[in-house]
Amino acid sequence: MTLQREKRDYSWGMVVDVDKCTGCQACVLACQAENNVPLNLQDRFERARVMSWIRVERYWEGEFPDVKARFIPIMCQHCENAPCEPVCPVFATYHNNEGLNVQVYNRCVGTRYCANGCPYIVRFFNYWEPVWPEAFRNHLNPDVTVRSRGIMEKCSFCIQRIRRGVRNAEREDRKVVDGEIQTACTQACPTNALVFGNFNDPDSQVAQMKDDDRHYTLLPHLETDPNVIYLAQVDTDRSGGESHG
Amino acid sequence: MQQRRTIDQIHTNRVLLNGQLDTPKWWAPTVITLGIIVAIGFFMIGIMVNKGLGVTGLSRPVYWGLFITTFVFWVGISHAGIMISAILRLSQAEWRRPVTRAAELLTVFSLLTALLFPLMHAGRPWRIAYYILPYDFARGIMPNVRSPLIWDPVAISTYLTGSTLFLYIALLPDLGNLRDRTTGWQKALYTILALGWRGNPRQWKLQTVGGILLSALMLPIFVSVHSIVSWDFAVTPAVEGWHSTIFAPYFVIGAVHSGVSAVVTMMALMRWLWKWEDFIRPEHFDALARLLIVVATGWLAFTFLELIFAVYGLDAPELALRELQIFQWPWNILFVTFVFTGYIIPVGMWLQKSVRNNIALMFWSSLFVNIGMWLERFLIIVPGLARKTPFVYTWEAYRPSGLEWFILFWSLAWVTFLMLLFSRFFPLVPLFEQKESQTFGDSIKIGRVKVPAIVREAD
Amino acid sequence: MKLSRREFLALGAKATAGTMIFAACGLPERELIVQSPIDMPEDLVRGEDAWYATTWPDMPGGDGLIVRVMQGRAKKIAGNPDHPVNLGKQSSRHDAAIQLTYHPDRISEPMHRQSKGGLYDPISWGRAQQLLENAVEAGRDNLAVVTNPLGGHIEWVAINFAALYGGRHIKFDPTEQGVMQDAIRFVYEQEDPPHYDISNANTVLSIGADWLSTWQSSVGYSVRYGEFRSKDHRGYLIHAEPRMSMTAANADLWLPVMPGYEGHIAMSIAQVIVDERLTGSGEISRFFNQIPTASLVGFRPEDVEERVGVSAYKIRKAARKFAENRPSLAFAGGSAGGHTNGQFNIAATHALNTLVGAVGSDGGVKYNPLSAIDGLTGRCSGDSFTDWEVELAQWRGGNVQTVIVRGADIVHGMPNSVDVAGALENVPTVIGFGSVMNDTLANCDLIIPEQTFLETWGTTIPDPAPGYEVVTIQQPVIGPTEMASGGLIADARGFGDELLRIAGGELGADDMEELVGASIDQLYDLNRGSVSAPNKRLFRQGVLQRGGWWDTKATVETPSDHAPPNVFDLDSSVVFSDTDGLGDGADFHLVPFLSNSLYEGRLSATPFAIQNPDPMSSAAWATWAEINDAEADHLGIREGDVLFIKSEYGEIEALAYPTPGGRPGVIGIPIGLGHENGGRYDEGLGSNVLKILAPKVETASGSLAWAATRVRVARSGRKRELAKFEGEVTAFPVEPGVPVLVVAPGETAHDAEIANHHEYQKNFLLPDSGSEGGESSGGDH
Ligand SMILES: Nc1nc2c(c(=O)[nH]1)N[C@H]1C(S)=C(S)[C@@H](COP(=O)(O)OP(=O)(O)OC[C@H]3O[C@@H](n4cnc5c(=O)[nH]c(N)nc54)[C@H](O)[C@@H]3O)O[C@H]1N2
Ligand SMILES: Nc1nc2c(c(=O)[nH]1)N[C@H]1C(S)=C(S)[C@@H](COP(=O)(O)OP(=O)(O)OC[C@H]3O[C@@H](n4cnc5c(=O)[nH]c(N)nc54)[C@H](O)[C@@H]3O)O[C@H]1N2
Ligand code: SF4
Ligand code: SF4
Ligand code: SF4
Ligand code: SF4
Ligand code: SF4
Repeated sequence: MTLQREKRDYSWGMVVDVDKCTGCQACVLACQAENNVPLNLQDRFERARVMSWIRVERYWEGEFPDVKARFIPIMCQHCENAPCEPVCPVFATYHNNEGLNVQVYNRCVGTRYCANGCPYIVRFFNYWEPVWPEAFRNHLNPDVTVRSRGIMEKCSFCIQRIRRGVRNAEREDRKVVDGEIQTACTQACPTNALVFGNFNDPDSQVAQMKDDDRHYTLLPHLETDPNVIYLAQVDTDRSGGESHG
Repeated sequence: MQQRRTIDQIHTNRVLLNGQLDTPKWWAPTVITLGIIVAIGFFMIGIMVNKGLGVTGLSRPVYWGLFITTFVFWVGISHAGIMISAILRLSQAEWRRPVTRAAELLTVFSLLTALLFPLMHAGRPWRIAYYILPYDFARGIMPNVRSPLIWDPVAISTYLTGSTLFLYIALLPDLGNLRDRTTGWQKALYTILALGWRGNPRQWKLQTVGGILLSALMLPIFVSVHSIVSWDFAVTPAVEGWHSTIFAPYFVIGAVHSGVSAVVTMMALMRWLWKWEDFIRPEHFDALARLLIVVATGWLAFTFLELIFAVYGLDAPELALRELQIFQWPWNILFVTFVFTGYIIPVGMWLQKSVRNNIALMFWSSLFVNIGMWLERFLIIVPGLARKTPFVYTWEAYRPSGLEWFILFWSLAWVTFLMLLFSRFFPLVPLFEQKESQTFGDSIKIGRVKVPAIVREAD
Repeated sequence: MKLSRREFLALGAKATAGTMIFAACGLPERELIVQSPIDMPEDLVRGEDAWYATTWPDMPGGDGLIVRVMQGRAKKIAGNPDHPVNLGKQSSRHDAAIQLTYHPDRISEPMHRQSKGGLYDPISWGRAQQLLENAVEAGRDNLAVVTNPLGGHIEWVAINFAALYGGRHIKFDPTEQGVMQDAIRFVYEQEDPPHYDISNANTVLSIGADWLSTWQSSVGYSVRYGEFRSKDHRGYLIHAEPRMSMTAANADLWLPVMPGYEGHIAMSIAQVIVDERLTGSGEISRFFNQIPTASLVGFRPEDVEERVGVSAYKIRKAARKFAENRPSLAFAGGSAGGHTNGQFNIAATHALNTLVGAVGSDGGVKYNPLSAIDGLTGRCSGDSFTDWEVELAQWRGGNVQTVIVRGADIVHGMPNSVDVAGALENVPTVIGFGSVMNDTLANCDLIIPEQTFLETWGTTIPDPAPGYEVVTIQQPVIGPTEMASGGLIADARGFGDELLRIAGGELGADDMEELVGASIDQLYDLNRGSVSAPNKRLFRQGVLQRGGWWDTKATVETPSDHAPPNVFDLDSSVVFSDTDGLGDGADFHLVPFLSNSLYEGRLSATPFAIQNPDPMSSAAWATWAEINDAEADHLGIREGDVLFIKSEYGEIEALAYPTPGGRPGVIGIPIGLGHENGGRYDEGLGSNVLKILAPKVETASGSLAWAATRVRVARSGRKRELAKFEGEVTAFPVEPGVPVLVVAPGETAHDAEIANHHEYQKNFLLPDSGSEGGESSGGDH
């Protein structure tokens, strides 16, 4: 249960231009540094337990010499109709008034049901207590909870930055202006493949980009109504529907 | 069909109370061995709670594995109770009498075990009370009633309560019986438990009526429990192989299949361990086998329907999943084993009358069924997660850790342990039922076999 | 929002009874929203943060940075939005760099050992400074100051300090860019590399340079790549490189050229353009102004396809696109320069710019002005391998008394053929500055804890500059860090500050702050550029706030009638090392590459960098070897097999990673790991490919031909799980367009989805029903 998009003060969302993503991984580490995402030690990779609130998937098409690599950044899609929410027995994950799918760490009991419910596989479970050597604690972000073992976590659209931005705007009693709030990943993304903003502000960059001819959403058949809109990759070698590698 | 001879009550009492009055030699060593395994198991669980779920083989996206599989498995087994006590009682199948209690017992213990699994495999078990005991206004928020995980405990605890009451009511006459045959602390114990049972007509009437009412009340549970368990998966559109609309009936009939088979296994064991040849007779096995052929076949139909529905959509990820589930190593081995042990071998055997009346063969065939049924749950739950959605980049394997395997086997030891412990203090075969069947002795035709039955129970 | 009891009941009831029943009861929807009654820490804004502007002189490109500081701790590093090079953007390396400052194994106090190979014992700063001064004094006239390629003031100090004591300043850079610098000098007669106007180009032809990942200011280039892709006329990228690097992966056309033949493919492209008259006669005559026409004979694509390993069809396609879809731009670097004919490869590529009139035009090559502060240069390349061999001979010969090393891990970075550790044995006093242990520091007699780039003053002159004068200012954004458990994380000093202190005013300043301050005053006196202020004090503040100073008008003229010199004066034939007698196994061409997150190993101490998945393989925590998957199958090599990589100069182990992106005959191995000494995370992790490089040198510049080694690859029989992010299945989509939807130019996503669906259906349906797909999707292209 949440406010309809149009009834909200803000409806946060992201537009991802796949055509621009180079796979550079800047967003990945920017997110990790901003959100105190635990260090992915070697065994996390070997046991397929890597935590990466945003990940860059690389797909292959064709074979040498006509092989192509495609990159796509995937983070929580902040679905309006989120399959992860109804299954959580304790409302540790719910939808807030700004279109965000929020994760309440201290309420989570770690059933991992939400993670099964999420079609985009963007929820990450703390199988082990995260380790932060004392020295590294100096760079942890004080605005973000340092999670403990046994709970679920995921992309929060950098809610702490949103709060700061909204707070600052409210102090000068005005609305947040476009570009004023940037998530860590959009701030980092060198090619500007990631753009964050308020869908309810018609002048915002995201509002204008989201109806581009190339716009699509991931797994539309599931009707999750994501707040992350993708713009398709362009390939001059593709001739209409005929060839797709 | 063999002729049943009449057994006098003295004999009945002596034989059926042998568990309590003179304990067999094998009892103590067996229980101690099991006890050790159980202790180690609890220690392992302790380690897991203490260190975190990192000690399992779970990963992303394979977030659920052996534990949830085994949870579903035990809930399935628990359907033995309802099937035998409720359904057969209401349908007045006389041959059920000797096994009702053991079946109820199995139900109660497997439910207790089943409940442990979702608890222990939560990230922070110590916070589960948060939603088991919802009414806490300090947090100002209810548990999420849309989540099947809320209804699991509700359904299971209802079933548990019902079964326990049922068990107890049926136990009253025998408790009185034991009270009169024991001395010292045992007598004291039985006296309290017997609730002053005297066996006068009014008590008998109340006891019988109570039994019937409870049977009727448990019928809806028969449908609900495993339906709700199936929704844990069916409501999840994200996982290929989970979001199937036929899961509820599919799971229920599967549960009956495994539950009744478990009863057969248990009857064979009881007959062998306590020498109850006179009470647990071949025609009981024969009748159960016939019932199982029907159940198993119905279940098989669902299994294939589920596959057909899945493949019919020609949906890429779905196809990829089935390809893994059925054709790829090592899943293909599991799948073949599942089909053979779950249906082909046992049903193939049961079609022979000779097998139906051969206790040893019935024991093994019924054991096969539950191996198959465990694999069925595993093959539904894990491959779906390992091949979740079309994001090939995230497809993963699942290698359960030694600890997970151990806890799985621990649960088997644990249930057996509880059963044996119970058998030491209470009769596994209800004496009064036994005698009742003697008194009202009559035989009616069910299918092609004549089984002892009675027309009316109370008046 | 705290729910009242009434709302709570309503909520519970609504949840159970469903929306319908309560729809009419007039409760505002807001009241029924499930909100956390207790805010999360994320919901509370606590404390005030500050973002300070600075830069990181150790990284190429000279990107401007801003650092978020709260309560004296650096929290986050990001790009400086005002800075003309990276326009507020960053790479994963920048975020990882924060862990250099807060590393748990940071060198916290000076350490000294009595004898070579002896044990270190901590000493006081006073003692350390005394030892340092003595060593410098003793080393008068035979002193060597070794650093990584630096720029700005820190380099100025190193050079002048060395000069002051009659010593030399030598720089080390494992993947030598010196070749590129020389090639630029040769083609354009320019000291500083030019600015490539990628954003305004319609076609970019890059050869060898992985400019989206690690080459020069990859961040700045990536920003321009973003603009290049989002123009109404979407830019077209052609990239030639033996390995599928990140840049190759993003190219519209990848030319998987055979190593060493990069220049040949460039000349073949020239041949097509000339032959097919794809450009004006003016350009053609200018091109042949110094290059003999005859020299292109034998460069027809059909003639070269054999040796360059790219089909004639693709070469022609590239040439036509490059010539017709203008403005076009060509540049080269990276592994193209790492050959015995490296300079030819790069020069030949740049010569193409003349053919499309790219020199001096928008979307082409623009010359860069020299630095605004006299005496300061941009980040220059390392000294050539040949110079280093000479230098090391001196060390070995005991002719060098004192060596001061800073920022250059020469022991790790130089091949076995030159035994650096051995040479250091013969230097009486070796002094190392550093913040975390590495293989070179482990060979020093005196180890001095150095402040990191977040703690010191300095400047960088971007190299290449964005076409005009830029000075980036580095300032200390944090002071010494107190640990919660007590004590400083490191009692460190700046390298520059220490040298200036020893020089005792001889270099015109007592510390870096003073030096930088003086230069800022110089800029004030220029009275132009991005910051204007009434007085020096405010000007200084302004410059520090902006993170530097730049003047968009301070450009230089680029001659549009530029004619390339005769590139065939350079040696175009390529020589590789041999693999004879290296035992059994298959021969491969070794292409070492800079790791996207570790760079050349500069960040290998930081877990952030080690665990950041590689863009192509998604691997981490390991040194892997990229091999073409089909070839691997043929050789019976599976992922995770431990491979022996043998060259004439040694052997390393690497984990096999068969990949569809691999070029047959080529094995790609990342640089950066394989440290024998380091922090707790990287010590003994992975292996060091630089060690086995053959000492082949580039003929013109004497630089190391680091991509000219051939290796023999054999299975060890052992197997280890390769830590990688990608799942157990190689990611080929099971369904077209999922999740990466690909559209043809002009095609809408919707049409593409329909087309893909029908394409997919064809796998199951009869041909005729499949053809409906063709119709419904055939629409607009
Ligand atoms: N969860 C949690 N609860 C705690 C504690 C904890 O650590 N965690 N600590 C406990 C302790 S030790 C304490 S002392 C209490 C403190 O609890 P509080 O007394 O609530 O202290 P604050 O929340 O810091 O401040 C209360 C309000 O005072 C406002 N305020 C700030 N300056 C002024 C001012 O000059 N005038 C007026 N009128 N208002 C001002 C602040 O904005 C804030 O809204 O919390 C206790 N409760
Ligand atoms: N920014 C900001 N700073 C504040 C405040 C604020 O509102 N905002 N509030 C101020 C106020 S009012 C207060 S009271 C202080 C509180 O500041 P602190 O006194 O630092 O309070 P804590 O950090 O909660 O507790 C200190 C340590 O005591 C340990 N501890 C807990 N129980 C015991 C025990 O039984 N024995 C011992 N030996 N240790 C124990 C805890 O684990 C913790 O490590 O913070 C002050 N600082
Ligand atoms: S993407 Fe997954 S986690 Fe995020 S809202 Fe949607 S379902 Fe929930
Ligand atoms: S893991 Fe946490 S958030 Fe997810 S469903 Fe379980 S309790 Fe809810
Ligand atoms: S103690 Fe923590 S988790 Fe519990 S209610 Fe308070 S804030 Fe929430
Ligand atoms: S929005 Fe914030 S939390 Fe989400 S992926 Fe980007 S950086 Fe991470
Ligand atoms: S930072 Fe931008 S370009 Fe780089 S991987 Fe992330 S989304 Fe792609």
